[in-house]
Amino acid sequence: MNGYFGEYGGQYVPETLIPALRGLEDAAVRAFDDDGFQGEFSSYLQDYVGRPSPLTHAKRLSAHHGIEVWLKREDLNHTGSHKINNALGQILLARRMGKPRIIAETGAGQHGVATATACALFGMECVVYMGSEDIRRQHMNVERMRLLGAEVVPVTTGTATLKDATSEAIRDWVTNVDTTYYLLGSAVGPHPYPTLVRRFQAVIGEEARGQIIEKTGKLPDAVIACVGGGSNAIGIFSRFIDDPVELIGVEAYGDGNTSHGASINFGIPGVLHGACSHLLQDENGQVLDTHSIAAGLDYPGVGPEHSHLATTGRARYGLVRDAQALEAFRLLNRLEGIAPALESAHAIGYLEQYAHRHQGRTVIVNLSGRGDKDIHTVLEEGL
Amino acid sequence: MIADAIKNKTKAVIPYITAGLPGMDATGEIIRSLRAAGAAAIEIGLPFSDPMADGPVLQKASHLALKNGFTLEGLMEHLGDWTTSIDIPLIVMSYINPLMRRGIGETLSRFRDRGVQGVIIPDLPSDAREIHALCRDIGIDLIRLVAPTTTLQRQEEVISQCSGFVYAVSVKGVTGVRQCLPGEVARQVQGIKAMTDLPVCIGFGISTAEQVNDMLAFADGVIVGSHLMERIMGDPNPVIAAHDTLRELIGPGIESIR
Repeated sequence: MNGYFGEYGGQYVPETLIPALRGLEDAAVRAFDDDGFQGEFSSYLQDYVGRPSPLTHAKRLSAHHGIEVWLKREDLNHTGSHKINNALGQILLARRMGKPRIIAETGAGQHGVATATACALFGMECVVYMGSEDIRRQHMNVERMRLLGAEVVPVTTGTATLKDATSEAIRDWVTNVDTTYYLLGSAVGPHPYPTLVRRFQAVIGEEARGQIIEKTGKLPDAVIACVGGGSNAIGIFSRFIDDPVELIGVEAYGDGNTSHGASINFGIPGVLHGACSHLLQDENGQVLDTHSIAAGLDYPGVGPEHSHLATTGRARYGLVRDAQALEAFRLLNRLEGIAPALESAHAIGYLEQYAHRHQGRTVIVNLSGRGDKDIHTVLEEGL
Repeated sequence: MIADAIKNKTKAVIPYITAGLPGMDATGEIIRSLRAAGAAAIEIGLPFSDPMADGPVLQKASHLALKNGFTLEGLMEHLGDWTTSIDIPLIVMSYINPLMRRGIGETLSRFRDRGVQGVIIPDLPSDAREIHALCRDIGIDLIRLVAPTTTLQRQEEVISQCSGFVYAVSVKGVTGVRQCLPGEVARQVQGIKAMTDLPVCIGFGISTAEQVNDMLAFADGVIVGSHLMERIMGDPNPVIAAHDTLRELIGPGIESIR
């Protein structure tokens, strides 16, 4: 494994964590070389998560936009999002490493629920750090985590959202590094996490590529996914990177002015949470406050591989505002009978811009999670 | 020279303060009062929005200093006055992102031009060869941390890219006051000393004169941060609080300045 994607990535962490990251990398390399590990992971994906997830032709949405839209249904996974793929993969790794205590950060609560689920499945101790602002707006997921036996620790520092929860999880890890496995939920953080998370999420792209060829006889013109840290996007992109397929990440543009989470579009390279990537920061190098109606996209950084894909031009990164994501949420409900997570609704919301210039094309949208958790937020905004 | 300033002191205590708290002028006064109280060197921390290696006290200090309007450019205006007003080394502690914002080489050069002698970066990249070479060329000490978890092989690598002093982290964890400190610190420090002639200073968790004495039995110096900042933040007169706290830590009956 190489810790850098071009100039992005690396390990910018307190010295105490260096041996833990080396140990994690060694364990991951051994696991990926081990057919037994791969087989165990695959069997949990099939029999517990319910994979493969379907690829659904969204016929009425297609007709609405004048393009062919296929939805990769990660919302149908057990726990309701793609996060379970990575949580199970890393739990199996933690078990191999003999770490009995699992910690995680969560924004929307989807990674927290997935981690708490995997911990319940294997009888492991689970502590989830969550910003108090996110606890308020994603309350259902908080209750789910508690039912699953996890301890949810509110984080009140900073903006009380995902970035502060991540800082607090890192502080816990530095303190309890001997006994604790940090189960990072997105393709961010110090090496080897971005590579590890991509490996566990690559199943999305692997399945989707086979499914679209089987159903349409060809590759799609584009693959579209929302990007907060970027794990669902990198998971589906990974299998199309060497194909003549356009890769489009969609960033949260918040209010469409200064209050957003669009690091690749508006950030400049910097270091947060152990890796170098595009970062929303001021002229003094202080990290800026972010906003998105989708808690899982409310983050000032982004996975280093996305920074690299943007810099090389292999992928491009669009913008969708809160209001557009809400409109897409309603549209998908009415046209397809599917409630997307507000995060995934950003990818759906991008279709309008895409269809404007690309009539008749075929696209896969990664529907990374389901929207039950967001109904409260959507109702607050008015149906 | 930072190494000499520590070695020449009978009881080398290095106080850490967060810059810009309660204000930039107050920071200048606190620096002078710490010098008068017998500091061997002074470490000033640059506030950062996301201080992931810090415990609650220094997180709060960082947050308040930023709220009070601290900026790197504002700091640059004061640094020269601060370093010329004392005859002991001034060391800057900063997370890497603010240093990188306008180019790490340029920022460190500006520190050096203003008399700063050393820099501590808690989230230095694991492969720090380039930054070490940069600091050597600029002429500023890169003080590296060695943790209780650091392997012997890693320790050799870190020490070979370190100058000024070696910062031995006493505990696994973030900065902050602790009730007791693990006995392994002595062994850790002896291990480092076997590898280098650089002074070895212990930091993280130290808050009492007794702890200072215990540590100085085997280490060349100690760093005190959270305890001092807690006192500074909780006192209407932070300049006097800083002075008195450091005097208490260095202890009575021992001449602090040779």
